Amino acid sequence: MAVLEELREAVLTGDKDRAVEVTRLGLETSIDPQALIDDAMIPAMDEVGRRFEEEEYFVPELLLSARAMKAALELIRPLLADTGASSRGCIVIGTVKGDLHDIGKNLVSAMFEGAGFEVVDLGSDVSPEAFVAAAREKSADLVGLSALLTVTMPSMKSTIEALEAAGLRDRVKVLVGGAPLSTDYAVEIKADAYAPNATAAVRAAQELVGGRAPCR
Amino acid sequence: MKGRTRVLSLLDGRPLDRLPLMPITMMFAADQIGVPYGRYATDHRVLVRGQIETARRFDFDHVSAISDPCREAADLGAAIEYYPDQPPAVVESKALLGEARQLARLECPDPTSAPRMADRIAALSLLRQEVGGDLLIEGWVEGPCALAANLRGINALMLDVVDEPGFVRDLCAFCVELALLFARAQVEAGADLIGIGDAAASLVGPARYEELVFPEEQRLIEGIHALGARTRLHICGRTRRLLRQLARLGTDILDLDWMVPIEEARAACGPEQVLLGNIDPVALLRGGTPAGVREGLGDCHAAAGGRYIVGAGCEVVRDTPLPNLLAMVEYARAHGGRAGPGSHP
Repeated sequence: MAVLEELREAVLTGDKDRAVEVTRLGLETSIDPQALIDDAMIPAMDEVGRRFEEEEYFVPELLLSARAMKAALELIRPLLADTGASSRGCIVIGTVKGDLHDIGKNLVSAMFEGAGFEVVDLGSDVSPEAFVAAAREKSADLVGLSALLTVTMPSMKSTIEALEAAGLRDRVKVLVGGAPLSTDYAVEIKADAYAPNATAAVRAAQELVGGRAPCR
Repeated sequence: MKGRTRVLSLLDGRPLDRLPLMPITMMFAADQIGVPYGRYATDHRVLVRGQIETARRFDFDHVSAISDPCREAADLGAAIEYYPDQPPAVVESKALLGEARQLARLECPDPTSAPRMADRIAALSLLRQEVGGDLLIEGWVEGPCALAANLRGINALMLDVVDEPGFVRDLCAFCVELALLFARAQVEAGADLIGIGDAAASLVGPARYEELVFPEEQRLIEGIHALGARTRLHICGRTRRLLRQLARLGTDILDLDWMVPIEEARAACGPEQVLLGNIDPVALLRGGTPAGVREGLGDCHAAAGGRYIVGAGCEVVRDTPLPNLLAMVEYARAHGGRAGPGSHP
């Protein structure tokens, strides 16, 4: 099986060891590192997203694929830095202040990486100030805000207001997601988009910022 | 007809005067008595006052000791973040079972003396004293998957189900041992029914649910029945793909989250299963109109047919407009409950 196809299969089935082995083999045989991402990993994570959306895959499968992808990416990233290859855009993501629930955010973060974005994951319980600082420092194209609790949803509004106050709002799109959210709420707090799940988040990010520069 | 009698009549197949009404309230109940949620979750006297006031104000058929998913985890030694005005939460970065092998050293505390579990038990004693016989008294335990996630960390657990299924099986079994001890103490204190919250179970998919979670949920439900209490199972999230398995669990009440089509639940579970729910608590109950709430409940009721309890798909959230909640109350009051099979609305 060709290296690209084997890598795609390894990521799709969540086989981390195989993904690393095949990636090493590909790099040793001088396959373009960017091709490993564009022609193997991104199609694999696209398919993972499709299966997740169709409820053929569930959270464990998605996390396994993400783990395999990240392990392979660790080998490739240093080479991309050398060649100056660009990502599809820079995303700063986190669960908002007061909310410690991060599995949804982690799934979305992994899917963003799988779609070729560069992701700066700030973790959970992230203050508006920390979002602003990271967005500024990294020249982010998009800020992704996650909340599981209705009681922490107002932190999304505070974060968007902080981005406005910092003069970043014109340059940074804001995408919101989480179980209690809705399009109406996203409109109310002046987010640019709402995504009900990880695959929808990728589609929204691609529409909002696809093709921008990598993180600074 | 008193609320307790109404609910038990439905469960036992006896005639009843109207649809039972059993929405989950936590922060909403604390707000009703003007108390910050941090106090509600940590002082049983406050919780009891909030529950009784709310049940009386809105004609609910039950009161509940549910407050947050962290009581068992806290008493096992997990790191918990307490907030002034929102529910306590487990700090996953300091997970109690950061190493799977630590499970072997974990021992079940005595719920009657472990502080956070004892506080819930005290709530149930007080509820029995205040409203016993009038309203159905609901205790609460974490289900095996939810407690496992609180101890191990949800992100790690989701990988464990593939990498270390034997560990997950052992962990879920431990969680049920504790849940049964906790349930026994709650029943002895006055609970008529034990609610089981097993949020994380909706994430693993049907095959792993069947293998790892179902047997332990079933053991928990059977154990609670052996104590002489009823059960209400609530799994947050999308459980469409689990409905055939949920139908086999034997829970007295299957409380469905809003994204589960209730007609599919009825088809999967058959006419005898009592279904509860399941309008969207945020978009519709908080964000909609009284007319929308009535229509949404009408759709749920029609899809469920008989053996149906009115409620939202999850907690009635803070800031839910009173007219919307009153529309739910009026819906229950205006419709006769049917103890008979639920296949023909």
